[in-house]
Amino acid sequence: MTGPLDDADTRSAVQAVLGAEHAAVWSAGLATAYLPVEDQTALADAALAHRERRDALVALCEAAGVAPAPSAAAYSTPRPVTDAGSAAALLAVAEDDTACGWRAVLERTDDAELRRTGVAAVVSSATVGVRWRGLAGTQPLVASFPGTR
Amino acid sequence: MDHPSPSRRSVLRATAGLALAGSALTVAASCGNDDERPDELEAPLTAARADAALAAVAGRTFPDLAARMGPVAEARRAHADALAAEVRRARPDRADAVAAPVADPAPPASSSAAAAALRTSLGAARDAGTDLAVHAARYRSGLVASVAAACGGLAETLA
Repeated sequence: MTGPLDDADTRSAVQAVLGAEHAAVWSAGLATAYLPVEDQTALADAALAHRERRDALVALCEAAGVAPAPSAAAYSTPRPVTDAGSAAALLAVAEDDTACGWRAVLERTDDAELRRTGVAAVVSSATVGVRWRGLAGTQPLVASFPGTR
Repeated sequence: MDHPSPSRRSVLRATAGLALAGSALTVAASCGNDDERPDELEAPLTAARADAALAAVAGRTFPDLAARMGPVAEARRAHADALAAEVRRARPDRADAVAAPVADPAPPASSSAAAAALRTSLGAARDAGTDLAVHAARYRSGLVASVAAACGGLAETLA
């Protein structure tokens, strides 16, 4: 039987985006302490989306007999997180990282389910990214090609 | 024996007929796939050009929209350029279709009508691209998903 992770290139892309999803879940947890109350619902929704994608990736790895990339206990943030703006900037970075990871997966699989998950992930990253960039005060609110470094 | 075995001549005739039918089908299929049907990226390319033109007109006509329309026009122009480059690379026969210019659209009746029209067309581009990225070739899937994602984000900026 062939599976979506038979190819080594696909496997490493899936493991890389799983690492990015772990980091996004951790970042959302950190940001809850700093974001204003009116952004907490959006943050909870984004965090849930990352947990669901993380769980789907872990299940995919386990079904293929591949050990899923583990999460770290903590991550070093590109900039210190001290207030709502810097927390939102971290969330934007985490969204960009997952978008890049998923775009790489899309280019390395023909599996329709993995493709559907991946394109939804890139779209939701760019969509919620508008809110985080607005809160962080960074422009542009939308990259022309999300998922590209 | 009610069914006599066919003569060699009639078998050969039948095979010749099949061969002819087969080649006719092949010709028809290759016309349809390679020579006449538009590339799958032409529809998103046309949508990107139309959005860029509408955003540019709306930004010029309604000063209150200028700050939000500038990024939409810029991103959609970049999308059109990237999609056009890929069509020209993969389908040189479609270069003329890809080069077709877009006429400037009439300015919408009001600032809110302009924002609503773009929000609708960006949402449609996001949804169409989401479907296309699932089925497109690997090397195109990332580009199409990226364009769809930008459209989703841009629609959000007009919400």
